[in-house]
Amino acid sequence: MQTSILLVTLALMALSGAVMLRVLRAKDGPSPPPSVNKQRSRFIWCLVILGVLVSLASLRDWPHRSAGSDALIVKITSGQWWWETDTVEIPLGQQVEFRVTTEDVNHGLGIYDPDLNLVAQVQAMPNYTNKLVHTFEVPGTYQILCMEFCGISHHDMINEFDVLEESK
Amino acid sequence: MKLELRSQSKEYPPPNPHEALIKITMLLGGVVFLLMMVFGLLMRVAQGGLIDLDPELFYMLLTAHGAGMVGSAALSGAAIMWYFLARHVELRSQIYIAFLGLFLAGVVLILGAIFIGRFGGAWTFLFPLPALSGGLWEAGAAVTFCLGYLLIGVGFLLYYLEIGLKISGKYGGLLGALGWRYLFRKDATDLPPPTIVAAASVLIFNTTGIVFGAAVLAATIVNLLFPAFDVDPLLAKNATYFFGHVFINATIYMAITAVYELLPEYTGRPWKSTRLFIGGWAAVVIFVQAVYFHHLLQDVNMPAWTLAVGQIVSYASGVPLIGITVFSLLAYIKGSRLKWDLPIGLLTLGVVGWGLGVIPAMIDGMISVNKLMHNTQWVPGHFHTYLLLGEVAMAFGFSAWLVRDKAAQGMSALDRLVFRSYVGGGIGFVLIFLWSGASSIPRRWAVHFDEWQLQSQLASVFALVVVLSTFVMVVRYAAGLLRRS
Repeated sequence: MQTSILLVTLALMALSGAVMLRVLRAKDGPSPPPSVNKQRSRFIWCLVILGVLVSLASLRDWPHRSAGSDALIVKITSGQWWWETDTVEIPLGQQVEFRVTTEDVNHGLGIYDPDLNLVAQVQAMPNYTNKLVHTFEVPGTYQILCMEFCGISHHDMINEFDVLEESK
Repeated sequence: MKLELRSQSKEYPPPNPHEALIKITMLLGGVVFLLMMVFGLLMRVAQGGLIDLDPELFYMLLTAHGAGMVGSAALSGAAIMWYFLARHVELRSQIYIAFLGLFLAGVVLILGAIFIGRFGGAWTFLFPLPALSGGLWEAGAAVTFCLGYLLIGVGFLLYYLEIGLKISGKYGGLLGALGWRYLFRKDATDLPPPTIVAAASVLIFNTTGIVFGAAVLAATIVNLLFPAFDVDPLLAKNATYFFGHVFINATIYMAITAVYELLPEYTGRPWKSTRLFIGGWAAVVIFVQAVYFHHLLQDVNMPAWTLAVGQIVSYASGVPLIGITVFSLLAYIKGSRLKWDLPIGLLTLGVVGWGLGVIPAMIDGMISVNKLMHNTQWVPGHFHTYLLLGEVAMAFGFSAWLVRDKAAQGMSALDRLVFRSYVGGGIGFVLIFLWSGASSIPRRWAVHFDEWQLQSQLASVFALVVVLSTFVMVVRYAAGLLRRS
């Protein structure tokens, strides 16, 4: 997923950059035609329509989905500089609702798969319990890293749990 | 916006009464930019495992780098806007001196808090981190840091009060300076100049941002002195990000006045206010304040509508920038017979870098993408694009223009080398941040896993190129000041 995001971003930046560069190199060429204002209006309307379509497509299914009734509840508490989880083995394919909080400052719960790819995250806030719903599709040992700067051992705030293929 | 592409005779404005003050400010800004870049380079080298940097020192450098860069961007942006506003209204030098004095006093407190008090809570710390340092710093250091910010904020409020008074007096109140009345009138022949519209807009949203920042700083100070006093951390987080987002964006919106005022000197085509231009700035005033919710997309306790607003406005914010500012810049340059020199090259780069940097920002503003990219190095990837290749480029472009050799035309070989190094180094540097973000590398980590070190090592090479080209620009600017004095 991250690779796709990167490639789409780079493609858009490269395309936009190439158009800009081409126009800038045309400084000694002809001036823009009188229709340039109409071109601009069309361009702005295209941007607006694209925005509406992307917003509708990406928000129609709310990205922070709620857990089903059979979700496994996993409680995670944090503090400077530790994570504590009440479950260290999670069945593969099981929907999980992480309930995350902290005893001191803001932290960020980042769940990394065995290949060190971030698969999901949510903020951990004092006085609040934040919910994160995720279903693990790949077995292995996952790491919990801190995503929100929380002091001098921020980078040492690591824990792990296993996602196991359940023997039914 | 109807583009006015007719050439006009080149009429240079009279000498600017604030020029000496502005030149000193830009020198200060340039030196601090350079120093902060060195700090940035050190951090990337350390993340690459090439040097051993104590994590405590790393986080102090991180704090200094963030506060210093934002501060220099704000200082240079404010200097640029003050300089060009003085072409339209009479501003009092004493106010600018007070602003600069408060700014420098704030810097002294901030540097003292970091390098003497060992404060390392980052430039946008989240409540209640300043009070819970884990032994790195004492409450006094955190209070000093907050007081430094407050002094700078007071200076900015003074600055905005002065420009607000002067432009209101000349342009029929703040609403007149914003030009909003022309959005609903047929007659649009007497619109306020672009610099005035920009200044009126910035003073509205940045004053609001500073007030929210001051509120959270005051609450933090009280909490540090009286720990029983508590604030809702989510409320404090909202105020912090509202302030942080508005303040850093204001730096670019102030610096863009250099493009409005200087590009016409090169193209012979005036950058004119039109209804679309006024409408674009009106949208900016709203968007730049409403968009801060995109910093809270992983705070699932926020009302869902705020997160949706964060995503939608993140996208919408790019429309006036790309559709009006970037489009206008390109249209004004096309066919203008403009002769590239270092100042106009850097100013143009600033707009292009800003326009390109907004693309990864818009994409990260999508909630589903943000779930994977939030607080990874994708974030410094996009903001370094529109700061390093945006605001900072504009600041150095303006500085180069201040000390330009009017007899010389075009770019010298050294100009070309410096410009290409800065652009090439900058592009490489920001692209590696984006790649690192896509590789899930978290931001603000003092020590990186072995698997992540290659990106940091490559980034260090590009950072070094940027530092060297910036060094040459700062030295040449200083030499230019000496020559002209």
